[in-house]
Amino acid sequence: MLSKFRLALLATVITLSPAALATASAEPLKVIASFSIIGDFAKNVGGERVEVTTLVGPDGDAHVYEPKPADAVAMAGADVVLVNGLHFEGFLERLVETSGAKAQIVELTKGIEPLKMQEEHEAEGEAHEAEGEAHDAAAEEEEEEEGHHHGDTDPHAFQSIANAKIYVKNIADAFCAADAEGCDAYKANAEAYTQKLAAAEDEVKAAVASIPEDKRVIITSHDAFGYFEHEYGLTFLAPEGVSTEAEASAADVAALIRQVREDKASAIFVESITNARLAEQIATETGLKIGGTLYSDALSAADGPAPTYIDLMRNNIATIKGAILGS
Amino acid sequence: MTRRLTAFSCAALAFGFTVLPALAEEKSAWRLFVSDHAAPVVRAIDAETGKVLANFATNGPATLHRSESGRTVFAVQGKSDMISVISSGLSMGDHGDHGDLKIEAPSLLEAAFPGAKPSHFVDHHGDIALFFDGEGVARTIAEKEVLAGSKTAREVKTAAPHHGVAVAFGSHVLVSEPNSEKPDELPVGIRVVDATGAPVGDVHSCPDLHGEASSGNILAIACAEGLLLVKAGDDTPSIELLPYGEGLPEGKSTTLVGGRGLQYFLGNYGPSAVVVIDPTAKDAFRLIELPARRVHFAVDPARPKFAYVFTEDGRLHRIDVLAGQIVGTLALTEPYSMDGHWSDPRPRIAVAGDSIIVSDPLKGLLHVVDAGSFTETGNIPVEGKPFNVVAIGGSGETH
Repeated sequence: MLSKFRLALLATVITLSPAALATASAEPLKVIASFSIIGDFAKNVGGERVEVTTLVGPDGDAHVYEPKPADAVAMAGADVVLVNGLHFEGFLERLVETSGAKAQIVELTKGIEPLKMQEEHEAEGEAHEAEGEAHDAAAEEEEEEEGHHHGDTDPHAFQSIANAKIYVKNIADAFCAADAEGCDAYKANAEAYTQKLAAAEDEVKAAVASIPEDKRVIITSHDAFGYFEHEYGLTFLAPEGVSTEAEASAADVAALIRQVREDKASAIFVESITNARLAEQIATETGLKIGGTLYSDALSAADGPAPTYIDLMRNNIATIKGAILGS
Repeated sequence: MTRRLTAFSCAALAFGFTVLPALAEEKSAWRLFVSDHAAPVVRAIDAETGKVLANFATNGPATLHRSESGRTVFAVQGKSDMISVISSGLSMGDHGDHGDLKIEAPSLLEAAFPGAKPSHFVDHHGDIALFFDGEGVARTIAEKEVLAGSKTAREVKTAAPHHGVAVAFGSHVLVSEPNSEKPDELPVGIRVVDATGAPVGDVHSCPDLHGEASSGNILAIACAEGLLLVKAGDDTPSIELLPYGEGLPEGKSTTLVGGRGLQYFLGNYGPSAVVVIDPTAKDAFRLIELPARRVHFAVDPARPKFAYVFTEDGRLHRIDVLAGQIVGTLALTEPYSMDGHWSDPRPRIAVAGDSIIVSDPLKGLLHVVDAGSFTETGNIPVEGKPFNVVAIGGSGETH
């Protein structure tokens, strides 16, 4: 009983001030976060016990990131490396190898329910059929050249706050494994942050519920919001696939425009990490107005509207709701 | 000679990031394309067996360039006014969680690009730019159009014939601006033209322009006072100058190669040094002095930490890009003095998977160095004077 009481007291103190419990003389845990959203999670869980280096920073695009020599040097000295996994960080394998990193590489999507990206091909097939196009050998070859991703798993699991809670738990577990002394602090921080996430999730659900069901189809640049769609009930259509690396083909865009008209999409949004031109083209052709900027794979800079993950989710749903209900 | 060239995806498997579907067979293949210093021929050689797969006749001796995709090799015949294109016969399809490797015979493509004094070849993400010094004209074409047999290239004309360069940069073309008073000297800047050929903005000053390379999303162009760094902008390319660091001795780069897997550039700097350039770092330039005059240098696309420099004393040096220093030296050939004509036959370097290939034109050999142990493990005899060499290959699944 006494030990339970002590633990509870400890947790309360940590919740109020995580920094207070960090051992003054101890070296902070050196943590690499592969991109800005994970960096934010890591800081919330680690507090002042950790020193977080984020590779792909605010407004950066992890799909096409090319690591710098300095990243390899930082990786070599890291105690823990936190990554999304599910092939989100295409640069990671070679960076780990190049750096000779000895740290544990922690895939934070462990334990989430992955979503497959099969709709892309189905939609393409339908488009070809509708236009009576011959899907001949040459077309298949071209598709191969441009890199088709059959059976790909959508890596953007962090777009569901329910999944974000799993990321946070995985981070706490990783920090505990690397720094047993700080484990109680990490767990307490994770618990406190998870409560904040839960509150933000309630806001998102309430906002979606306030949008009429026949207005819940919207357009974005790339397929980054599958988990948001799955969890909260909006439908996102996008001309680009799960990666921003492969540009949308003319056929993709044409198929999307046709789909927009059929499904009566309510709004179109640009993404902070992608060029707005494609969204503007679709807006022009469909008569939809650009409803604002959504943050998909990266936080904004500190002076932007999404400097933290919770800000990002709040900004996105507010932007979506405002554009749909205001239209 | 029998050697197994392990493909670069092994590391990925070791880290457990890749899950391979069942019923797929993994294969690797590496081919070397080798030009002769004096004879009009390009040889395609199986790097594993040393067997000559094909000999391709050209109009004259060629400088070879491989495309980014590895599907084509461009044979630039500067003195014979011709650029021929060879299909490597190897194509890698990216399927997200794995890659497919398609193996066919190498072949000379129908597409060829005649023109006066062809010089620089640049492939920027699949868009090829060829510059013809004798005309002062750049011709650009997508690689997939070349593979489809097209010979119709977009032309961008400059004010005068000059030793220039062009880069097809999205819908824009960057092209060197000749020195209007002395067009036989190096260009003085870069001009951007749009899809219609109309100039965009002013000429970006770049005195003594020579040498360009891409790494990640940055294109670097070497100038007398630093590098022009080009990135994609909202509507037009964004271009800014990165001046040479104050800590560098007087000099300049005139040849650049871009890191693969790490975003950096390796450039020459004076006759006996190279410079490692990280454009995003506070101290962007790190000079590495060499023990002898430099002959050729290359980056390792499979082990991004390393680059290689061959020096006139016949030695190959391994450079640790992260540490900015030489970490290995290997004697490979008799000395090749840098005295004499700049285009005398001297060794060239190419990296083929886990092997570093160094041509030895005066001995008629390709030296094979194991990239892991940095020791010579064999050689491939080649008829004539094997000079330029490019390596194409990789591993993938065959379904």
